[in-house]
Amino acid sequence: MTRAAAALLVAVCLPVVGCSSADTGADEGAEPYRIGAVLSLTGSYAGLGIPEKQAIDLEVARINEAGGINGREIEVIYEDDATDAAKAQAAAVRLIDEEGVLAIIGASGTGHTVAMRSDAERAGVPIVSMAGGSVITDDFSEWVFQTPWPNRIVIPFVLKQMAAAGRTNVALISDTGGYGVDGRDYVLAHAQEAGVTLVADETFNAGDTDMSSQLTKIRAADPDAVLIWAAGKEAAIIARNARQLNMQQPLYGGSGIARQEFIDGAAEAAEGVRLGTGRILVPEAFGEGTEAYAVATDFIARFEAEYGAKPDIFAGHAYDAIGLIADALGRIEGDVTSEALRDALEETDGWVGIDGTFTYSPSDHNGLTEDEMVLYVIEGGTWRLDD
Amino acid sequence: MSSVKRIRLFITPYLGLIAAALAVAAVPLVTPDRYVLKVLVYVGVNVIVIAGLALLFGHAGQISMGHAAFVGIGAYTSAYLVKTLDAPWLVGVLAATVLAAAGGLVLALPALRLRGHYLAMATLGFSEIMYVVFREARAITGGNDGLGGIPYPEVAGLKIDTPVGVYLLVWGVALLTLLLVLNILRSRPGRAMRALQATENGALACGIDTVGLKIRTFALSAALAGLAGALYAHGVGFISPSTFGLDQSVIYMAIVVVGGAGSLAGPTLAAVVLTLLPYADALVPGLSKDTIAVMQDWEADIYGLAMIAVVIFAPAGIGGLLKRIRLRGAGEVRS
Repeated sequence: MTRAAAALLVAVCLPVVGCSSADTGADEGAEPYRIGAVLSLTGSYAGLGIPEKQAIDLEVARINEAGGINGREIEVIYEDDATDAAKAQAAAVRLIDEEGVLAIIGASGTGHTVAMRSDAERAGVPIVSMAGGSVITDDFSEWVFQTPWPNRIVIPFVLKQMAAAGRTNVALISDTGGYGVDGRDYVLAHAQEAGVTLVADETFNAGDTDMSSQLTKIRAADPDAVLIWAAGKEAAIIARNARQLNMQQPLYGGSGIARQEFIDGAAEAAEGVRLGTGRILVPEAFGEGTEAYAVATDFIARFEAEYGAKPDIFAGHAYDAIGLIADALGRIEGDVTSEALRDALEETDGWVGIDGTFTYSPSDHNGLTEDEMVLYVIEGGTWRLDD
Repeated sequence: MSSVKRIRLFITPYLGLIAAALAVAAVPLVTPDRYVLKVLVYVGVNVIVIAGLALLFGHAGQISMGHAAFVGIGAYTSAYLVKTLDAPWLVGVLAATVLAAAGGLVLALPALRLRGHYLAMATLGFSEIMYVVFREARAITGGNDGLGGIPYPEVAGLKIDTPVGVYLLVWGVALLTLLLVLNILRSRPGRAMRALQATENGALACGIDTVGLKIRTFALSAALAGLAGALYAHGVGFISPSTFGLDQSVIYMAIVVVGGAGSLAGPTLAAVVLTLLPYADALVPGLSKDTIAVMQDWEADIYGLAMIAVVIFAPAGIGGLLKRIRLRGAGEVRS
């Protein structure tokens, strides 16, 4: 008995010894503002959550070194949802009830954001989501804000680009997660307006490792182009499988594949893939001399100096999320509560970030338009503005 | 054996239950912390599942690698009925329990002709099939991203929407479940189960209807899992397929093994301790965030180590240890 109990006890207690002396940097008596962050640091969306965390760390360090906000530092408490909706919900409960955070940044995914929603509403804690599903702000909640361009902005843009290039017979392949379902609904509803015809409509689940059967059906439908709507790491498999099946049709996508992980995962097969998303990948698109250009190049330079790689769009979503919260905190007069922070967020007016210039209102918690979109083509393992 | 000792042996398990009831009632008085109560709801739900699985595996000796699927059937049934179809809460919970029992029955009829590894394989297959159903039957289950905003429990117009209320409800049901299982174990079916576990042919020779017994036990065990699932769905308000997958079934089995076959107190205790492990920071003040993160990352490994330790050092699990301590206290240990 004693040996078994001792083994268990040691297993439980070992980590305690190693890690208990961290925490608490400099604080001048004032308590820091506590902000929670629910990110997908592991699982299918790890390629989203990791750059998001890097960007938040970078910005929080910058803000705190500059003296914090109203003389108080920002402290971010991270939770990993492992790309799992149930874990995202549990994480939100923990942040609200146990950590007492003012607001939650997250989640990385659409379904995971929706999972956190009812707990945040019940407790009255604002959420700033970094996921691109339209449902996040279409299905309006006064407590939920969104930094990326939702599908309702990105999809019409990409479809119009496809139509303009004469690729009017389109095959869609989307994932069954929140982002993919949301995107699929939007494509089905708006393809006609954009001037394209949907000739195939295939789906896959997160975690699938082979898309050959879906792509074989798509090939049989003989489309002019294939539209990939997915945010997980599986998108790279689609590109690879399409290449293996010797499909000649050009591939299109949106924000979900605008990241290095896609290019690395698909390698050769990523060449020539076109995607519509925001300007951060090639900041010259902002127009040199503009305030947005200055913000973006400053962030890119600092991010690259810290992490040795250029930030992707997800780092940009996170920059905006923490930036919007910091901006709102600075505008609060009187007691800083979750409610006051929500009100201040809603009053955001012309804040220049990476994803665009944000103006929130009581009926619009996204505040972005199609003007923020540009079309890229992947060439030589990187992005180039499509001309 | 003197009559005093006999009375003591008869009463001891109920003493444990009474002590547990007092502890359950004391928690909200000691801590008003909402988060602690919410975590304890997870624990109470698991105690109900484990009580059923301890009956099935620990006493009747029938393995199930698909118990999380029964929890899922219960959770989705009640959530769908109450949230989407506006059925009363009690109807939802009742339907969840009955449907899970029916699922258990349907699985048990063919599967319990199998033994050992083959039974494990059959139940594992069932678990995988149900996982696909939970993900693909989107109109009912909400698919991969789950079902949110499930209403709180409501009995006769009384809405149980505070953490304390949900906690007391779940633990009240958990204690009743333990009482039910305890009584089954101490009556004829319980003795028949032990005979079945020891030797199926011997049990048959004693006139025990082993097939009927197995099927009834499986259905009851599944029903308790379904009940737990319904309580979870309404208590937490959000469900998604990943909560009801194979890894959760394995965790349930691990809890029963660590707790000890042939015991009820052992698995119950193991359910409490192992469920609390990832939430230790809510209960033990001063544990750092990093420690918890490490523990959460290593959760599966800690379960695995605990199982290995039990198999090597205490094959009878926590239940065996408890029994040894009790007998030593009664001065009856002989080597």
